Amino acid sequence: MKRSFGCAFVLTLAVFLFIPNAALCQDTVKVGIILPATGEKAKFGEIEKKSFEMALEEINAAGGINGKKMEFLFEDDTGRPDVARAAAEKLITKDKVVMLGGGYGSSETFAISGVAQQNRVPFLVATGSDNKITEMKWEYVFRINPPVSEYPQALESFLSEVVKPKTAAILYENTNFGSSGSKSFQETCNKIGIKVLLTEGYQHGGVDFKPMLVKVKQANPDLIYMISYIMDASLIMNQSMELKLSPKVFIGGGAGFTMPEFIKNTAKAGENVLSATLWYQTLPYPGAAEYYDKFVKRYNMDTEYHGAEGYASAQVIGDALKRAKALTPDGVREALLATDVKTVFGPVKFVSYGKMTQQNKLPTYVVQWINGKLEMVWPKDVSTKPYVFPIDWEKTWK
Amino acid sequence: MEMFIQTLVAGILIGGVYALIGIGMTLIMGVMRIINLAHGQLMMVAMYITFVLYQFLNIDPYFALLVAPPALFLIGAAIQRYLLNPLIKIESIIPENQVLMTVGIGIVLTETIRFMFSSDYKSVKTSYSTATFNIGAISWNVPMVVAFILAVVLTASLFFFLLKTDVGKSVRATAQNKDAAMIMGINAEWITQLTYGLGAAMAAAGGTLLLPIYYLFPDVGGPFTLKAFIITILGGLGSAVGAIMGGLVLGVAESLGATYISMALKDAIGMVIFLLVLVFLPGGLKQLTKV
Repeated sequence: MKRSFGCAFVLTLAVFLFIPNAALCQDTVKVGIILPATGEKAKFGEIEKKSFEMALEEINAAGGINGKKMEFLFEDDTGRPDVARAAAEKLITKDKVVMLGGGYGSSETFAISGVAQQNRVPFLVATGSDNKITEMKWEYVFRINPPVSEYPQALESFLSEVVKPKTAAILYENTNFGSSGSKSFQETCNKIGIKVLLTEGYQHGGVDFKPMLVKVKQANPDLIYMISYIMDASLIMNQSMELKLSPKVFIGGGAGFTMPEFIKNTAKAGENVLSATLWYQTLPYPGAAEYYDKFVKRYNMDTEYHGAEGYASAQVIGDALKRAKALTPDGVREALLATDVKTVFGPVKFVSYGKMTQQNKLPTYVVQWINGKLEMVWPKDVSTKPYVFPIDWEKTWK
Repeated sequence: MEMFIQTLVAGILIGGVYALIGIGMTLIMGVMRIINLAHGQLMMVAMYITFVLYQFLNIDPYFALLVAPPALFLIGAAIQRYLLNPLIKIESIIPENQVLMTVGIGIVLTETIRFMFSSDYKSVKTSYSTATFNIGAISWNVPMVVAFILAVVLTASLFFFLLKTDVGKSVRATAQNKDAAMIMGINAEWITQLTYGLGAAMAAAGGTLLLPIYYLFPDVGGPFTLKAFIITILGGLGSAVGAIMGGLVLGVAESLGATYISMALKDAIGMVIFLLVLVFLPGGLKQLTKV
């Protein structure tokens, strides 16, 4: 009931908002962007949307797409795959967009990819990181961010060269993103000879993680690897501190552990926690630092790798549309295939390797919260501070 | 053994807070015969009130217990008076439409809060949020223990109100038989407003007590509406004692399930119990306690 009401509401809105728009803006190049604007993932969607908008303004101010203005039509996937699907169908059939962008949650992104492939409209994935999204041999799906299995790449060398743990426990959110990430970290562990004592999934949004953490405490691993969104991440760290869970290192697998809210909500419980990440504003990519400063100044809030993915997506979309011989879905697809552009998120080029097709390949990094600040610690040549290891938890948590 | 006791403790503590939230819904169910699907959203509003008090006036979340529940009482009573009661008066609208109305109210509350505070995750980080003490090898989280004790106190005072005061007796009379209560001179419309207000205030208290350990964002209400719903069915529709049992059962089951089966199935465990109760004990735990 709730859903059909929602649909009716969205449809009415669409009728009022988009038809006049479409009639007025005949000469713009329309691109559909699907992101969560409401629902539990809205926070990340907001950062990405603002980044998309910022890039859009800059591209249009610099002349747009060969004289024409580019226009982003934003749709809300509410964090649910069925809604994401409907949004993609609407953008393709009704708004006749030349391509799609966005895609935050893996499940939603996978749903959108299916629609895009079926309708033969290119889709540039900004964040959805489940491996299978680019493993389906879908020739209309491109991905700018590395797949979740590559998140721990930099971690691998950090672990084998610095931490040298013997045992590990993996905690993950039981979604596409979490289970895919946990599986690949398990493979990493097998490769470098770490014994995984415990692999535990959990349901997002829990109040009390102690039952799970007590089990971890009994297993007593050297390393705890966690794949969690922001608030689960904070609660897990707070409760680990309460239970005095003290492995050699706590490592977050991206997502929640690099957000500014993480340290706000954990304070000392988040100190010295390490995380794999895909991007950091001090990286030597053209425009990375400028993007960060401009975003913070303009919106008065912090941004992180998700925002950079959004901004870089818009850069890639703008670049592809400019080069496209014809502004049709197939013309744009041809242009995307030939992409070779430097963005704030790093150089973007769509290649095939392993089981993946049309996947951008990027290195990953390790960051650590030191004195309440997120510092790049690995690889050494781009680090902003030396890593803190070994960690004295007694002292950190006092 | 240590693991078992720690799990049990965690389950009972969170169960107390669940019970508090569940009782609110069960009260409304008892008197108005509708499920209040805006329950978690009302709790969310209370959490934001507590958050604002903490953030801008530096008022401790426990003192906010004196502000948020009364505020929600007023909001609840107003919702009943101006949004739900008018629906009863129109003959052509079936009573079930009140349930749909509560869904709508829930959506409006969520989106209004999102408009005011954006989707950001917020938390109330007090000095005692992660404080613990140990008895033997079992660690007790201080805010969790305080929440449990206050939940028991609030529930006890609710019972005193329902059993010993005239107004409380009127509420129970209306729940048992509305027509008979009206014949006895009880102003049923006023009682419904009072009840919805009380229900909202109980949810508000639950939300406020959770805040030092949990976090808030506009969509935090949904899962709690679901939990309160499960508790209401578990306890037997409209039974306050049943709701307390239901809350504790849900808390302990979730906790044990998380330890011995998998935390990934935490919500599924609640649902399985829900189904078992419906199949084997269709009247809910009320059938066992007879209250």
